[in-house]
Amino acid sequence: MRLFGKIAVALLVVFSALAPALAADDSLRDIVSGFADARNFSQTEKIVTQLGKTGDPAVVPLLEALGEGDLRVRKEDRAVFIAKGKGTVTLLDPLTREAVGSATERELTKIKVNNSLRRSIRDTVGGLALMAAAPEKRKAAASTLFANPDPAALDAIETAMAAEKDPAVAESMAAARAAAIVYSDRPDIEKSAAIEIIAGIGSRDALALLSSLEARSQGELKEQAAAAIARANRTLAFWEMGQNVWYGISLGSVLLLAAIGLAITFGVMGVINMAHGEMVMIGAYVTFVVQELIRTSAPGLFDWSLAIALPLAFLTAGAAGFAIERGVIRFLYGRPLETLLATWGISLILQQAVRTIFGPTNREVGTPSWMSGAFEIGQITITWNRLSIVIFALAVFFILLWALNRTSFGLQMRAVTQNRRMAASMGIRTPMVDAMTFALGSGIAGIAGVALSQIDNVSPNLGQGYIIDSFMVVVFGGVGNLWGTLVGALTLGIANKFLEPYAGAVLGKILVLVFIILFIQKRPRGLFALKGRAVEA
Amino acid sequence: MISRYLFENGLSPRILALVAVILAAAIILPALNLALPESHPLHVPTYMISLIGKYLTYALLALSLDLVWGFCGILSLGHGAFFALGGYAMGMYLMRQIGPRGVYGNPLLPDFMVFLNWKELPWYWSGFDQFWFAALMIVAVPGALAFVFGWFAFRSRVTGVYLSIITQAMTFALMLAFFRNDMGFGGNNGLTDFKDILGFDIQADTTRAGLLAASAVALALGVIVTARITGSSFGKLLIAVRDAESRTRFLGYRPEMVKLFAFTTSAVMAGVAGALYVPQVGIINPGEFAPANSIEVVVWTAIGGRGTIIGPIVGALLVNAGKSWFTGALPELWLFALGGLFVLVTLFLPKGIVGTLQEIAASASERRKARKADAEAVDGEQASPVGAE
Amino acid sequence: MAGCIRNLAATVFGAALTASVMAGAARAEETIKVGILHSLSGTMAISETTLKDVMLMLIEEQNKKGGVLGKKLEAVVVDPASDWPLFAEKARELIEKDKVAAVFGCWTSVSRKSVLPVFEELNGLLFYPVQYEGEESQRNVFYTGAAPNQQAIPAVDYLMNDEGVERWVLAGTDYVYPRTTNKILEAYLKSKGVAEEDIMINYTPFGHSDWQTIVADISKFGSAGKKTAVVSTINGDANVPFYKELGNQGIKAEDIPVVAFSVGEEELAGLDTAPLVGHLAAWNYFQSVDTPENEEFIAGWKGFIGDEKRVTNDPMEAHYIGFNMWVKAVEKAGTTDPDAVIDSIVGVSVPNLSGGYSTMMPNHHITKPVLIGEIQEDGQFETVWETPGLVVGDEWSDYLEDSKSLIADWRAPMSCGNFNTATGKCGGKGVN
Repeated sequence: MRLFGKIAVALLVVFSALAPALAADDSLRDIVSGFADARNFSQTEKIVTQLGKTGDPAVVPLLEALGEGDLRVRKEDRAVFIAKGKGTVTLLDPLTREAVGSATERELTKIKVNNSLRRSIRDTVGGLALMAAAPEKRKAAASTLFANPDPAALDAIETAMAAEKDPAVAESMAAARAAAIVYSDRPDIEKSAAIEIIAGIGSRDALALLSSLEARSQGELKEQAAAAIARANRTLAFWEMGQNVWYGISLGSVLLLAAIGLAITFGVMGVINMAHGEMVMIGAYVTFVVQELIRTSAPGLFDWSLAIALPLAFLTAGAAGFAIERGVIRFLYGRPLETLLATWGISLILQQAVRTIFGPTNREVGTPSWMSGAFEIGQITITWNRLSIVIFALAVFFILLWALNRTSFGLQMRAVTQNRRMAASMGIRTPMVDAMTFALGSGIAGIAGVALSQIDNVSPNLGQGYIIDSFMVVVFGGVGNLWGTLVGALTLGIANKFLEPYAGAVLGKILVLVFIILFIQKRPRGLFALKGRAVEA
Repeated sequence: MISRYLFENGLSPRILALVAVILAAAIILPALNLALPESHPLHVPTYMISLIGKYLTYALLALSLDLVWGFCGILSLGHGAFFALGGYAMGMYLMRQIGPRGVYGNPLLPDFMVFLNWKELPWYWSGFDQFWFAALMIVAVPGALAFVFGWFAFRSRVTGVYLSIITQAMTFALMLAFFRNDMGFGGNNGLTDFKDILGFDIQADTTRAGLLAASAVALALGVIVTARITGSSFGKLLIAVRDAESRTRFLGYRPEMVKLFAFTTSAVMAGVAGALYVPQVGIINPGEFAPANSIEVVVWTAIGGRGTIIGPIVGALLVNAGKSWFTGALPELWLFALGGLFVLVTLFLPKGIVGTLQEIAASASERRKARKADAEAVDGEQASPVGAE
Repeated sequence: MAGCIRNLAATVFGAALTASVMAGAARAEETIKVGILHSLSGTMAISETTLKDVMLMLIEEQNKKGGVLGKKLEAVVVDPASDWPLFAEKARELIEKDKVAAVFGCWTSVSRKSVLPVFEELNGLLFYPVQYEGEESQRNVFYTGAAPNQQAIPAVDYLMNDEGVERWVLAGTDYVYPRTTNKILEAYLKSKGVAEEDIMINYTPFGHSDWQTIVADISKFGSAGKKTAVVSTINGDANVPFYKELGNQGIKAEDIPVVAFSVGEEELAGLDTAPLVGHLAAWNYFQSVDTPENEEFIAGWKGFIGDEKRVTNDPMEAHYIGFNMWVKAVEKAGTTDPDAVIDSIVGVSVPNLSGGYSTMMPNHHITKPVLIGEIQEDGQFETVWETPGLVVGDEWSDYLEDSKSLIADWRAPMSCGNFNTATGKCGGKGVN
């Protein structure tokens, strides 16, 4: 009897759980099949809202697939499937996500989505995910709802809040609730409390909410909102300062990367190397080639592509530099201005060669996943790729500094540049040192190209965009001094970014150039001038 | 009278021959274009006339650079700026000459101002409807810029690559400034759609021929001025500054003043070249300020032979003729040819084409002299010191 | 990389071959010469080289069909090297020295402005394939790209009606096309009741590569509680770093959509488009348009260029239309004489690649459909909206004070590019 009872209870439980699920499943399927007949975006949107109203978390993956454009309709029987990829694709059941067959792309039509549809999918999914099992998903859903407040979701948020145990998630939910209240018709007292919560957050989104509330309310509430806006603005102004410094450092590190190779070929060796930009370009194209090879033969290694490209770019550009030094520049020592002409010719040839080999159009260099996205410190957004470039630039700088000061090659290099004949008498093979120095400078330009491929066009014109800035940095910092290049690059970067908000991008750049011209009048040999008799030679 | 003045003031026969050739071109080319029918084998097509006219202005630009670089050792990577400023001054005059014939029919405002909704002419455009004023500005603006720039730079003893780079910064900054539409110089499109100059239709064959002649005359004048400066005792000072600035200073001269004079004169010449260039190509835009253009001028000068008067002219003509031909004949490969040319000339003709030829001629005549001396020595049974230098 | 080497070899060999063949062919039979004036080097080569190739393809295909008027066509390719005065020089060379029957070329406004007087003086024909700022109609020029009303205004309408955008950032490169387009849009938006403070206008220099501040400004402007969109007239090269920065700073199309007028399939080919899905572009053609003509064109192009990955774009379609119009007009006139072609080409209709017919209007602009597309992960656009019919290119914008009352009609008896309906006079040319 007991056993019987147990079984019966168990069966009952199973059934009671199953029966509504089955029924819900059927009605869900009905709704989903409506996608096949939706003729325009607004009809599709209606179905999405309908699915959202079911409150069933099972529709989340389906909606996500729709947002990514993976929901397709089989032409012959108007059945809806999730299908990813090109060519022959596997069809997944939209609700259970089990494989139920396959079809070619031609047999399917994609259900089109546009921005407003994607928005409503995001909001719907956000509402549904509030009850998700994983706390991070709940938190993400709450943040989405905060950034895209929806008064209709207010009940759902409040239910979720009541059930929430995790304090961090609860806080996010409270923020989302406050945001939703702003747009709702709740009484002013609740809105007033919401203002305080939102003002405490102090981000841009919060400011947006407050401004919107201020615009739509009257009396005390309006004043309270205005006061909160003023407070938020003060904090934001402070953070903005920090943001500008960061932008400046980031621009400075790009300039540093572009200029540091030139600091060797031009700064140390005195070659007015107009082909420097093309060495950067070579580095960027090496990255492209490496990524192409990885894409076709070992897609799993893609995140390592930059790491693989670095040594190759260094070697390729270095070899090109070596060849240029041996083939052309060594005949021109003592005639520095003429190196300008020869390297100018070389730069034309290299540009056209790349144009012929790779075509004149931009080439795609992808970003490894670890370099995508951003994180926030307070209200400062720092993107991973900019941060990586800053770190990378500094690393290159210090490694180079170490190489010049602590290795025997560095010692020989400095000996040769300071007193060639003396160095030669001490048994240093000066021609070889020259060639290796030029190769080093070019190689470093090459690895700069790997980094710059992440933020700029990979095209034959890549180098031209950096050559003038590079010369400015080296000259401003002081020819022949690596520290000068570092300080010069960062100073110009930060100056540029502080001028930009006031003067605009163009005028800001002009002002920086004028500043360099005036600065050179004051210190004719740059920031960190070399002292001694050598400079007069 | 004139020839006596020139001879007595020490213009070498070689320079005079050059001037004569240029002036002859000024007369003969337009004559061949205008007087002969198109079917005649010696007829010079109009297309060639404006092309050669353009080359001549480039030659004057290269010559002006040679004055500061070849003779005074100041490598300016910003000479294109002076050229472009002269060009803009001329362009503004030509724009004002359009009058109500613009597309919007506004009698005062150039078209680009009309569609940017400008209501009145900016103050710096006033006066440019008068040719004399424009002509004054053509020399005054580049001259003044060079004077101010040089005044600061040379007094601060900015030399060598530092000077080169700040001249580059100057032209780059000007380029960015002129790109700005708010500056009132037509932004990226620059000034274009000119109708007439001094009352002559700018598209008429006679006007083109006249402009070619004017360019040739300007070039001839440039040659005379350069020759007079470099041939005088002041020219010796220029070379002294070029070869040993400190020593010149210690001898009591003021190198900064010498440089300033050369730089300003040169800028004025470049400005005149720019002014003649604009009506012949029909457009002036900020692209002319591009640092690459200025570097190209350096390349012409170097290829022709710096430190000579004929060299930059030959270089400018050769490189540009080559460019015109290559871009038509080998559109895909011409940069290889041009780039290769730069490398080869720098490697094998370090003094440029003219410089190398002169060297060959000089060593040949030296050998001749030496032989003659040998012969004399045999005759007179005594050694001759000729050729010791 | 073997392919690259082969490319190089093929180009070297091909150039040598073309040179020798051209020399030989000129003697063998009489041909009709067609000039191609696109930069193959310098900053604009990135966009223009493709157009040169597409012209070579169209000419080759036409020759396979027997040429024009029983004669073979012969392409004359020159390289104006992204140097604007050189454009004028090369145009003169093409017309005067090579005696070409028509020229297909130019990309930037300044290059077109530079060659205009040359075409006018020597009475040549220029087919200009790129979207531009309008405010121009010239007897010798046929504008096969979009005028602002064929691109910008429908795009803004779409954002306003379908996405409910209330706040606008007009971001552009500082030159005449963005300036004029933004002027027109500003006037248009104000006429639709958008307040002054809801419009932000920003200009950047050519090739601007550091977008951190501006993208941050945009997101700041967008956080005022109203739906915000960016209308981008940012030119060529600067787009890649701009979109990379947008992606990095996490600005999604759902939050702040960017609609661009200068970003096509070719520009996207240099980008990882996954973070950009949903950003928009307005054109008159997308490679993804599903018509038999387009399929054939794409197949032909991929075969001609020998690369499966190459894409097609709007200016290529413009050349396709322009070239076919020219062929048809020449056949109609029975001669390549420019005056006869100018007379016969008005009213000529040829199929475009989006399934309709484009017609040359008397103002020398053509009729086109306007498509709004969203960027997809594969670097293509998906059409999300299109005009119900064809839109006639409007050379003189109705939203600019001084061009309101101007019209262009190159048919006799008016024959005027800027006829002032208010004064009843033909401005400019009519005076002298």
